[in-house]
Amino acid sequence: MKVPLLEERAEAVQGKAPNGNSGKPARRRRGSGQTAAALGFLAPNLIGFLAFTFFPVLFSFWMAFTNWSLKPAVKFSYVGLRNFTDLLGVRPITDGSPGLLWEYVFCGALAVIGMIAALWANMSQWKGTRLGGAVIALAGLAFLVIGSQQAIQGVALAGIVALICGLTAASQDADFKPGVGSIPGIMIALGAAGLWQMHTAMEKTYEPTDNYFWQYFYNTVFMMIGIPFSIGGSLLIALLLHEDLPTGAARQRMVGTAICLLLGLMMGGIIWTLGNPNAGLLCALLWGIVALGIGFNVVAFRTLFYLPTFTSGVALMILWKALYNPTTGPINLGLGALYHVLGIHADPPHWLSDVMWAKPAIIIMGVWTGIGGTNMLLYLAGLSNLPKELLDAADVDGAGPWHRFRHVTWPQLAPTTFFITIMSIIGGLQGGFEQARVMTSGGPAGSTTTLSYYIYNKAFQDLDMGYASAISWVLFLIVFVATALNWKFGKGMEVD
Amino acid sequence: MVAAAGNSKTNPRQKATFLTRLILLSILGLAISLPFVWMVSASFKTRAEVEQVQIVPQTPTSQNYPIVLNTQPDPVTHKKLDLKFGRWYFNSLFIAVGSTFLQVLTSAFAAFAFSRLKWRGRDTVFMLYLATMMIPGVVLMIPNYQAMVSLNFLNTYHGLIIPAAFSAFGTFLLRQFMLSISPALDEAATIDGANSWQIFWDVVLPLARPGLIALTIITFLGAYQSFFWPLIMLNSDQLFPMSVGMLTLDSSYGQQTELIMAATVMNVAPLIIIFAAFQKFLVSGLQLGGVKG
Repeated sequence: MKVPLLEERAEAVQGKAPNGNSGKPARRRRGSGQTAAALGFLAPNLIGFLAFTFFPVLFSFWMAFTNWSLKPAVKFSYVGLRNFTDLLGVRPITDGSPGLLWEYVFCGALAVIGMIAALWANMSQWKGTRLGGAVIALAGLAFLVIGSQQAIQGVALAGIVALICGLTAASQDADFKPGVGSIPGIMIALGAAGLWQMHTAMEKTYEPTDNYFWQYFYNTVFMMIGIPFSIGGSLLIALLLHEDLPTGAARQRMVGTAICLLLGLMMGGIIWTLGNPNAGLLCALLWGIVALGIGFNVVAFRTLFYLPTFTSGVALMILWKALYNPTTGPINLGLGALYHVLGIHADPPHWLSDVMWAKPAIIIMGVWTGIGGTNMLLYLAGLSNLPKELLDAADVDGAGPWHRFRHVTWPQLAPTTFFITIMSIIGGLQGGFEQARVMTSGGPAGSTTTLSYYIYNKAFQDLDMGYASAISWVLFLIVFVATALNWKFGKGMEVD
Repeated sequence: MVAAAGNSKTNPRQKATFLTRLILLSILGLAISLPFVWMVSASFKTRAEVEQVQIVPQTPTSQNYPIVLNTQPDPVTHKKLDLKFGRWYFNSLFIAVGSTFLQVLTSAFAAFAFSRLKWRGRDTVFMLYLATMMIPGVVLMIPNYQAMVSLNFLNTYHGLIIPAAFSAFGTFLLRQFMLSISPALDEAATIDGANSWQIFWDVVLPLARPGLIALTIITFLGAYQSFFWPLIMLNSDQLFPMSVGMLTLDSSYGQQTELIMAATVMNVAPLIIIFAAFQKFLVSGLQLGGVKG
C-alpha cells in the first residue's frame, strides 16, 4: 500500500549505486535475458495467485449477480442486481411514502458524507474545524441523553463516540470562527437529527427486505467499540515500555531480582498459610513479575503483553468461553464473591448467554487479546522515532508530563495512531467470525453475529452462494472506503 | 532495538517514575497473565474441584492430560474419549509446516522477480498483487471453495496446503526487504559471471534472512491457527487440525472444563515455546508484519 514510497526508495538506492564504466554493457546484457528469468522466478507464485486470488475475485463478482446455490433444487439463473436490492432495499408495509424514504436516505447519506468530510477537514486543517467539532460534540451529547433516557444502547454509544470525536476536534489550538471546516460538523448534526426525527415514521411505513443484514451490520459496528480502548491501552503500555527501566548494573539487577523473588515467596507463603491461598498465589505472582521486570527489563513485559496476541485463536476463545461461564466460570465466581462482600443482592451478568452482555463480553476479550499486540509494537516503533530535541525542548520550557504528552508526543504519533485506527477498523469490519462460531454460534438472538459470520452462514449453511457473494462485495465496498481514506491521509506512515 | 536506547544514562525524570512504571507494568502483566494462570490451574484440577473459585488445586492431578490424549479412560464414565488428539496435533503441524515452506519459497521467488529483475509490466503486475491484498478473505472463500469442490480437493491435505502456498502479502513483505539490499551486489556478481539463479541463491537470499525468518514465523502462526478454511474444507476428523479439533472437543465435552483446559494448554504450549525461542526476531518482524494486522 505504500508503493510510491517504496519506488522512491528503490530508485534512491539505485541512484546511489556506483555506475562505473562497465555498468552499461553489463546492464544491457542482463536486460535482454531478464524477462525469461523473471518469468521463471515468478511462475510458481503467479500461477497460484491467478488460481486462488485473481480469478476467484472475478468469479465471486460474477456470482454476486446470480442465484448460484449448492442446493440441487435451485435452478441457476442470472438475477441482475436482485441480490443487492434484496440485501440493501426496503419494502413498504402499508402504502409506502417515497418522499419519506428519499428524505431518510438523504439524511443517512448526509451523515455518512459528513463523517468522511470531517476527517478530511481535520487532516487538511481547514478553517473552522474547531466550531464543527463543537457542533458534533453537541449532537453527540443530545444522542447520549436520548439514548440513555430511552435505553437504546446503540444510540447512546454513537453519542459517546460523537462526543469524544467532537471534543477532540474542538480542543485544538485554533479560533472558534466559522469556516469551510464547520460544514461537515453541521452535515453530521443535521443528518443525524433528520434520521432520528423520521425514525418512527420510517419504521411504520417501510421494513428492510433483509432485516438480518442491518442487525448484523449494527453488531459489527458495535463490536468496534473496543477499538479506542484497545488503542488507548496499547499507547499507554508503549509509553510505559519505550524507555529501559533504570535497573542498574548487572550485579544490582541480580540482587534486586533475588530480593523480589524472596519477598514474593515469603509474602505469598504467609498469606497462604493464613488461610487465603488465592491471595497468596496472586501476591507471589505479582512479585515474580516484578522480579522478571528487574531481571530482563522491558523485554520481559513486552513478551508477556504480546503473549495473548501470539497465542490467539480457537483455543483462547474456548478458554474465554470457560472463563465467562455464568455459573462455573471464575469471572462470575469472583464477581459473586465480590457482590457478597459488598452486600449486593444481584446475579452477575450471564455474559455470553445474555443479549445485553454478549457483545461486551466479546469486546473485553478482544481488548485483552490485542492490547499488547501489534499495535503496541507499532507505537513502540513510533516512540523510538520521536525526535529527541522536541522532548528536550519541552523539558527546558518546564512542561509537565501531561503537557509533554499532549503537545509533543501525541501530535508526533498522529500518523501511527491514524494507521492503527484504520487497520483496526478494516479488521473489525471483517472480524467476529471465529468468536461467533466458537463461542456463541452467533447468539443469543443473533446479537453476536457479525457480517463475516452472516456470510459464512449464508454460504455454508444455507448454501446460498450468490447471495453470500453479494454480501461479501458490500463488505468489500465498506472496507474499500476505509482503505481509500488510509491511502489519502496515511501517506506519512511507513511501517519499518 | 527500542530497549537499547536508554541504557547509557538515566535522567532524574526517569528515576522518579521508575517505581510507578514498574508497579503499573507489573499489575498490567498480572492482569494479562491471569487467564493463562487459571487455564493451567484448571487443567490440573479434578472434576469436583474445577467449579470452585480456588486457583490452587487442593488435590492436584495430572490425569486430565492422558485422558485428552486418549491413553487413559475417563474416571467417571470409564470410557475413552472419542477424540483423535494426537492426530490433530500432527495434522496442525504438518499443514502449517507444509504451507509455510511453500509460501516462503514462492514468495521469495516472486519477490526476487519484483525487486531485482527488470522486465516489462513489472510494476503493473505488482500493483495487481497489492490491489488484491485489501480484498476481504471472505470474498475469496466462496469461489475458492467452489474450485476445491470441482477439483475434488475436499477432505484432503493438499486442499488445505496448496491454497495457502501463495500469498501477495508474503511477496510484498520480502520485496520490501530485498529492495533494501544494494543493487551494486547484483552488478558485481553479474560481472563475475553469475546467472540470475546464483544471484538469487547466493547473494540476495542470504541477505534477506531477517525477512525470511519474519515471514516464516508470521505464516507458520497463521497456518497453525487457521480455522475458517479447514472448517469448510473438512468433515473427516482424521484430517482436522487442532483448531477444528478443539471445536469438536468443546462441543462434545464442553461441560468438562478440566479436560478442555488440558487440551487448551497442549494447544497453546508449542506456540509459547516458539515465541520464547524466536522472541529476538519477532519484534522487528512483527512490526513489519503490522501491515497485515
